[in-house]
Amino acid sequence: MSNTIELLEAIGTDASLRHASRHELAEWLQQLGASDALTAAVSTGDSAALYAELGHMPMQQPQVTHTPGHEDDEVEQGELEPAPMPVPGQTNP
Amino acid sequence: MTAAHPPLTESRRGKLACVGMGMTLGSHLTPLARSHIEQADVVFAGLSDGAVEMWLQRMHPDVRSLQPYYAEGKSRMQTYRQWVELMMTEVRAGKRVCGVFYGHPGIFAWSPHKAIEVARAEGFDAHMEPGISAEDCLYADLGIDPGRFGCQHFEASQLLFYERKIDPTGYLVLWQVGLVGDLSLKRFSTGAAYRQVLVDLLSQDYPLDHEVIIYRAATLPIQRPEIRRIALRELPAAELTTEHTVVLPPAAPLKLNLAMRERLAALDRETTMA
Repeated sequence: MSNTIELLEAIGTDASLRHASRHELAEWLQQLGASDALTAAVSTGDSAALYAELGHMPMQQPQVTHTPGHEDDEVEQGELEPAPMPVPGQTNP
Repeated sequence: MTAAHPPLTESRRGKLACVGMGMTLGSHLTPLARSHIEQADVVFAGLSDGAVEMWLQRMHPDVRSLQPYYAEGKSRMQTYRQWVELMMTEVRAGKRVCGVFYGHPGIFAWSPHKAIEVARAEGFDAHMEPGISAEDCLYADLGIDPGRFGCQHFEASQLLFYERKIDPTGYLVLWQVGLVGDLSLKRFSTGAAYRQVLVDLLSQDYPLDHEVIIYRAATLPIQRPEIRRIALRELPAAELTTEHTVVLPPAAPLKLNLAMRERLAALDRETTMA
């Protein structure tokens, strides 16, 4: 598993690998003894098996808010209050 | 060139750095952000991909995921306030704290801004280090230059909740369309009926056959960016998560502002005569 993360980092930091064809990258991974899941993810473009190998749990995208800049106006009971007017010089109301 | 240097003698007063991890594992982390991570006593991780979180764990022995604080049915604002408190508790305890967030820590990110504000108000050093955001990737992957026609960005729900002015002569980028219309802050997706409301609003400025680009940046370096092109009318039925961004190219040509041009020409004439 740690080898998989190392290989992903190596691909992410190398211009040739990052933009290699699926075939070239799969061959390179096979030579290095990468896991079947990583090699398959590269060959097929489907990362599901790879995430399974990593024990991935579904993650929420952090910081999903629906009112950036007005987060302090949290709506608790379905009532939408008008947003306050921005105050000059105040960057984070 | 890397020069060996003696370590700085620092006070042990707590401090906070919020840094961006970038979007793609291995490709986007800046040297300075990595240094903040490595020099911290405690690292908090607000990341969207389990593999990226595992990569971060290789950089520091004490990485604490912020993911478990999310829960379906729990207000996300409650979660984000907890994140601020978690980071500040360690800062107040005299720790060097690094909050690591996917992409850019200050874009669509309430807690890093808030934590820095709170830390500074309490007299601690606090700093934000930018990262490569989904927006940066979008410009590169879609070949869009926001300077060409201008570019408006809206969080999709904000476009519905408030009266905003759309300019269809520039690009329109809508974030978190998969969650559009959620007033509760407690859901992680809405659905086709909610997106239809958005389409109805957009149809006031765009024809229903106008091209819409659905985009998602690569988070793993073995992935390609996801780019789908559909008609605006097809948006409600499209498969979307909160990670997908919707881009509407311009629907009308730029219109000359003759009055402003005349004023500028008059100024030019005055300058030439002076």
